[in-house]
Amino acid sequence: MMNLWTLFIPELYCLLMAVVFFGLAMSASPNPRRDYFAALFMAGVGVVVALACVRLEGTLFFEAYRVDLFSQVFKVMLAMGFFLVVCLCTELNGIEERHHPEFYLFLSTCTLAMMMLVSSVELLTIYVALELSSYSLYILVPLRRGDGIDVEAGIKYLMVGACASAVMLFGLSYIFGVTHTTYLVEIVQVLPSVIGTPAAIVGLLLMLCGFFFKLAVFPFHFWAPDVYQGAANQVTAYIATASKVAAVAIIMRVVALSGGNSKYLVDVLVTLSIASMTLGNLVAIVQKDMKRLLAYSSISHAGYVLIGILSMSASGYASAIFYALAYLVMNLCCFLVVVKVAHDGSDLKIAQLAGLHRRSPLLAMALMLAVFGLAGIPPTIGFTGKFLVFAAAMEKGYVTLVIIAMINATISLYYYILVVKAAYLMESDEELPGLPVSIPTKVLTVVLVTVMVVFGVFPHHLLEVARAAARALM
Amino acid sequence: MNSLTTYLFLAALLFSLGIFGVFQRRSLIGMLIAIELMLNGASINFMAFNRFLAPDPIVGQIYTLFIMGIAAAEAAIALSIIVAVFRRLGSINIERAQELRG
Repeated sequence: MMNLWTLFIPELYCLLMAVVFFGLAMSASPNPRRDYFAALFMAGVGVVVALACVRLEGTLFFEAYRVDLFSQVFKVMLAMGFFLVVCLCTELNGIEERHHPEFYLFLSTCTLAMMMLVSSVELLTIYVALELSSYSLYILVPLRRGDGIDVEAGIKYLMVGACASAVMLFGLSYIFGVTHTTYLVEIVQVLPSVIGTPAAIVGLLLMLCGFFFKLAVFPFHFWAPDVYQGAANQVTAYIATASKVAAVAIIMRVVALSGGNSKYLVDVLVTLSIASMTLGNLVAIVQKDMKRLLAYSSISHAGYVLIGILSMSASGYASAIFYALAYLVMNLCCFLVVVKVAHDGSDLKIAQLAGLHRRSPLLAMALMLAVFGLAGIPPTIGFTGKFLVFAAAMEKGYVTLVIIAMINATISLYYYILVVKAAYLMESDEELPGLPVSIPTKVLTVVLVTVMVVFGVFPHHLLEVARAAARALM
Repeated sequence: MNSLTTYLFLAALLFSLGIFGVFQRRSLIGMLIAIELMLNGASINFMAFNRFLAPDPIVGQIYTLFIMGIAAAEAAIALSIIVAVFRRLGSINIERAQELRG
């Protein structure tokens, strides 16, 4: 029995973190320094725990919960995302001091839920884990101190999210009706033989709606810009990184269900991918707010990830895993700059980046590399990710799709370069003081930049891990 | 009345009414009720499939219990945010919440 519980250690650790912050939330006087260091320490240990558990394998809870390399790799990514977001919280000015323990509490529960999500192989477990992670985020968004845009973003997020999860549940009920089981292992055996029936395909598509909402894929994307802008910068960083990684994982699990022989499903995924990329990139061009721009960029990146997933081959899944990790690092680097430049917790306009190269050369350089990574310029990790995804799609013969994606990548270059231009070429009207960057932040920035470049040039080790994880999936 | 089709039809009707309500209603409470209708449609589906197609084990009924519990949690969070919306904006009409655009 002892042996089984060790499989569950990363999740138990997250639960422990949530309990600790629940206790801290009870204390009478707010103490942001104590909360921050507690969170930093515990999240750091969390990464170590997740890394230590990476080789575990087994099933738990009446086979509803599978621990394999696929899930463990994603758990490490989630723990890292959580740790890095906590690293950004040195000046958590967007949230009232007495709410800081709650902020960390809901981040922990959300990480816990996402770790459960990537391991779930039973429909009810997936549903419960997805809802727990969504509910934590629904509460995190309106926590921001401010003038009402936070509650507006919060209620929009909740309404769209609740709708998407209801649609997903309706899809689950059809899947249950068609296959008479709720275990993914058994569904995998039955579904390919009935995938031609309308009920099965409708069920699968409705089920995917709930996950598309998490990933902000067209047509469930419209919450993203409002929520990105309305939520506190750190919360947005979390939604944009960790939450997206978990969504990629669960979409892969579900798409892998179809067994790769459903033309309808591929057609729908191709359409959604093209729509997401095109819409995200075109609307991003006109954005003035940095977080809104990143929101539309995340919608287009959801489209790129879908290309890897819809290839439904081992290399396709491996490329999508690699892309998710690359996206996590690049986006966190962007948000690091956003959080540091807007250190009073306000929204950052792109024009406010003017003169950044003099105020803080390091941050400007990090922003440039991260943005070039998002655009897919070598030698960054973003280029490697895009290359792998497109290569996987080419293997399957989706030439048109790849050409459209490449045109999209070119369009996206325009607005990414606008950001770099603001940071490097534009001078601000008034003389702004230099941005003081603390030593730990410098170290963090340098580490992120190094990861982006080094794994962009030498992706082999990372790619091996992604391939092994994809093999565990199939 | 004792056929699967009847129940599936009822569930689909509830679900469609829910979707219609979400788009039609301007009040946040109304939208929340419409979402509950959608969840209930899914619950009926689970119960019907359980009763007619896969009677053993009683997975469908367990699902319905879980859906009810989770829907209650969702309603609690939604109502608390709606109260916050009312305090800040003075109305729970979704048209008042139009600050974020673009």
